[in-house]
Amino acid sequence: MALKADRDAIDDMIQAVDESATNIIVHGYRDRPSNIEIEVTQEGNALVVRLRDQAPLFDPTRAPPSDVTLPLERRRFGGLGIHLTRRFTDSVTYRIPSEGGNELTLRKKVKGEGNK
Amino acid sequence: MNISVNQTQGRVPVAVLSVQGDLDASNYQELIAKARELYHTGTHQILLDLSGASFVSSSGLVAIHSIALLLHGEQPPDLEQGWSAIHAVGRGLVAGPQQHLKLLNPQPKVDRTLEKAGLKEFFEIHADLATAIASF
Repeated sequence: MALKADRDAIDDMIQAVDESATNIIVHGYRDRPSNIEIEVTQEGNALVVRLRDQAPLFDPTRAPPSDVTLPLERRRFGGLGIHLTRRFTDSVTYRIPSEGGNELTLRKKVKGEGNK
Repeated sequence: MNISVNQTQGRVPVAVLSVQGDLDASNYQELIAKARELYHTGTHQILLDLSGASFVSSSGLVAIHSIALLLHGEQPPDLEQGWSAIHAVGRGLVAGPQQHLKLLNPQPKVDRTLEKAGLKEFFEIHADLATAIASF
């Protein structure tokens, strides 16, 4: 089935998936060759992407929000990836699938009829 | 990603560092390394031309911040120590817009990333090359 989403929603989701996948590769797999399963679906008016990995269990949604109001000299960049993931999507949820590993679900509303 | 450098002369010498393509976790260290090379050969003002950057991830933002740190005379992050060192950046810069690193013409998508990361207020962003060079 073809997915319908506007350009902005797609761009935002690409950014969020890039940030999430990078965190999995760097922090979860620690740069070791491994697999990430990425499932893209449309659920109602939302574009939904699920990332599944077999890295050690980690729930990025529990990371404290970044304070982007801090001056640059006090800014920490360690949580910037999850911060951008949150900012570019409508929701980010985490669960441990029955088969184990991590599953991160990103949702982004797309524009209605006549999607481009 | 391709990086090119063009040395220009305004009131002071300015290196225009142009990024073409995606700036992400796979290549952000190349941009830091290029800036470090320029700095060590006497460059102290960099205009980062983002007009050709189609995508900038958080890693790219870390690179931009690291270059600002470098040009401010702070110890640049040790790339050999990997992400733990990169994540330690974020201190050492004075508050307010950076005077030694300015940005040129980011595409709207990249501009939104800068905004959502809360970084726009820390960098002068110019839409015109001549104006940008003259601003240093």
